[in-house]
Amino acid sequence: MTLLKLSNLSDLAAALQAQGYRVVAPIQDDAVVRLRSWRPGDTVRIAALPVNSPKDFLFPRCEAIGRYVLDRDGFTSEDLPARAEKTVLLGIRPCDVAALAGLDSVFAWGYPDKFYGERRAATTIVSLVCPSADDDCFCTSVGGAPDSTVGADAMLRLCNGGTAMTFASMTEKGKALDAVFGQFSSPGEAAVDPVAEVPVLFNSEVVTDWCSKSFESTVWRTLGLACLGCGACAFMCPACHCFDIQDESTDAQVDRLRNWDSCGFSQFTLHASGHNPRPDQPARWRQRMMHKFRYFKERFGRVACTGCGRCGRLCPTGMAISDVCREIARAEEVR
Amino acid sequence: MTTTETVKDTAGDVFQPRLVAFVCNWCTYAGADLTGTSRLAYAPHVRVLKLPCTGRIDPLFVLKAFEGGADGVLISGCHPGDCHYSSGNYHARRRWAVFRRLLSLTGIDERRLQFSWVSAAEGQKFADLVNRITDEVRAAGPFDPSNPARRLPWK
Amino acid sequence: MEIATKLRADAAALLGDGRVKLVIGYAARGARRVPVFISEAPKVEVLMWDATCRQNLAAYLSKPDLKTLRPVAIVASPPVMRSLVVLASEAQIEDGSVVILGLDESGYHGILDLGKTVELLNAVCKGQGLDREILGRLEQIRGMSPQERAAFWASEFAKCTRCYACRAACPACYCARCIVEKNVPQWISTAAAAHGNFAWNIIRAFHVAGRCTSCGACQAACPQGIPLMLLNVGVTESVETEFGIRAGFDPDAKPAIGSYSLEDKEDFIR
Repeated sequence: MTLLKLSNLSDLAAALQAQGYRVVAPIQDDAVVRLRSWRPGDTVRIAALPVNSPKDFLFPRCEAIGRYVLDRDGFTSEDLPARAEKTVLLGIRPCDVAALAGLDSVFAWGYPDKFYGERRAATTIVSLVCPSADDDCFCTSVGGAPDSTVGADAMLRLCNGGTAMTFASMTEKGKALDAVFGQFSSPGEAAVDPVAEVPVLFNSEVVTDWCSKSFESTVWRTLGLACLGCGACAFMCPACHCFDIQDESTDAQVDRLRNWDSCGFSQFTLHASGHNPRPDQPARWRQRMMHKFRYFKERFGRVACTGCGRCGRLCPTGMAISDVCREIARAEEVR
Repeated sequence: MTTTETVKDTAGDVFQPRLVAFVCNWCTYAGADLTGTSRLAYAPHVRVLKLPCTGRIDPLFVLKAFEGGADGVLISGCHPGDCHYSSGNYHARRRWAVFRRLLSLTGIDERRLQFSWVSAAEGQKFADLVNRITDEVRAAGPFDPSNPARRLPWK
Repeated sequence: MEIATKLRADAAALLGDGRVKLVIGYAARGARRVPVFISEAPKVEVLMWDATCRQNLAAYLSKPDLKTLRPVAIVASPPVMRSLVVLASEAQIEDGSVVILGLDESGYHGILDLGKTVELLNAVCKGQGLDREILGRLEQIRGMSPQERAAFWASEFAKCTRCYACRAACPACYCARCIVEKNVPQWISTAAAAHGNFAWNIIRAFHVAGRCTSCGACQAACPQGIPLMLLNVGVTESVETEFGIRAGFDPDAKPAIGSYSLEDKEDFIR
């Protein structure tokens, strides 16, 4: 086998940068591992699950998508480019890769979103077979797997107790990286590290089914009480994609911005009339579950949840979607 | 070299700071009017914003000023005991004591946020104050565009 | 665990005889500590408490969905107790509508009313200073040049995604409409970029000045690990130094920033 030593990762990143790629990888940032653009001197932690997801690089937190420039006689509307950069996403887990497929569907639905689309086209995904999982992971409950290659342009696999990796390209984009990965790899003996074990916690079909007939259920009230209504889950979720359009102006111009939004925010569905069809947190929590497990499934054929577990890890009140799904599935089985 | 002399320089190399002054209507604004009617010249780089009372000044105004391009901010009102609304300046004083430390902690040079009491009779004080503050902010230099308080144009 | 047994017994009794409609406490879910809302006496068995219960349950008292469920019992460690005192001083808790199940690392303190809670706090916590490690870090930051400070905070605030988990987790943040949600005019940019993030984090810290009890729930809630306690303790320190006020020990105290003294210092005013 040809193996890439983990100690060569910084050199690999530098070489990819030299080829004109923006290199995004899990990087040690003080106490936290974050997926971000690699800079010389950064420590790549390829085997660590980053706190954020790759959607940051295809669908950023905020960006200008339009502009009006004001002048004496009126205004001119300016078309803004997509600002896509040739990018390699390095070490992305199969759950995060699967979530991108959902974003692909949404941003091409009805109206091709060039801001997402051009970035996506310029991005090469190098996925990593999961070497480890924790109690919050549940990809296997939502149609995924820790060694799934679906959606990836190339796969990395850890070997020899996590000290080396193999690289295998699968698509044209992936093959374009063969040379540079080959440059930092050498032949060697390798024992492939075992794939992480992710036990199935629930049947998502059962959850979808229950959601389809439980809009009026009083269970939502109990389920939604602990929710504080922040955006931590939605913003860190690799599959969430709701956004808000805001115009910000100076004397000279108006910038039309697209910012992340969360269905958990109290004003998410507040109408200009003052009416809010989701007036309380249980209604908003219901929306979160419904969107992911019912509406998205109905429209795009997949649930908008890939079992990455971030919501459970990051929620200030520990509301993991997997816990909710297990409760629903358990209640259904009892019934 | 007094500030008024420096002001006579045309474009040149001298950095001219942009100052925003939030002042109360009854004391400092009237005091500034007196400065003018007394024909006292002072550094012209300040934009004066009139409010009914310093008690109305929200810390957000200061943030907006720095966002929008100010190099320095002055807040000025009635002396304690003279507030037209009795206690507005007392509330303001308490607010600023905390806010100025917070802004300093987060990276805005203390010379850039200044406070004063200027009464309606203190025309000379207003001129001297603006001149001195202009010098101090000039010495602090242009507000760093990489400071997170500054609003940058959207790309 | 002794705390848990007594806590459950009291909670069951309160629910059983109708003294409260709801008990808000913590339950264990693996290594996680999650809030629970119990309205039936038999369900109190899940109640527990240990030092890893970091969320401030007082935050739930202002949530519209729970506001009308009174009387309510709430499991409270000293930071939560102090938050309850602050809420009482701001007229957010009606007299007698909240029953406190007091506890801390030394044990369970029983069913308390506001008066007994204040006594306990003054006996146990009044003498404790602010976190020394945080104060040390603040010293360090203040020793930097303004440019270095700006660069430090620029890199911290760059992580902010404006999820408002800090606000949601804080019992002092109970405005029905937060300043960021006001758009006529839009005072604080809602975009997660430098100036908006700066304004949000500064104003959030300022709006809890004199009201923050250093419970740390905001920093624990932040998914990006931003050191929010540096800002909160910095502001709390200013309030203590300038006015000698510390939040959460007197339910009749006037709000620090909303009141004034004729003797307030003005050495910084020309």
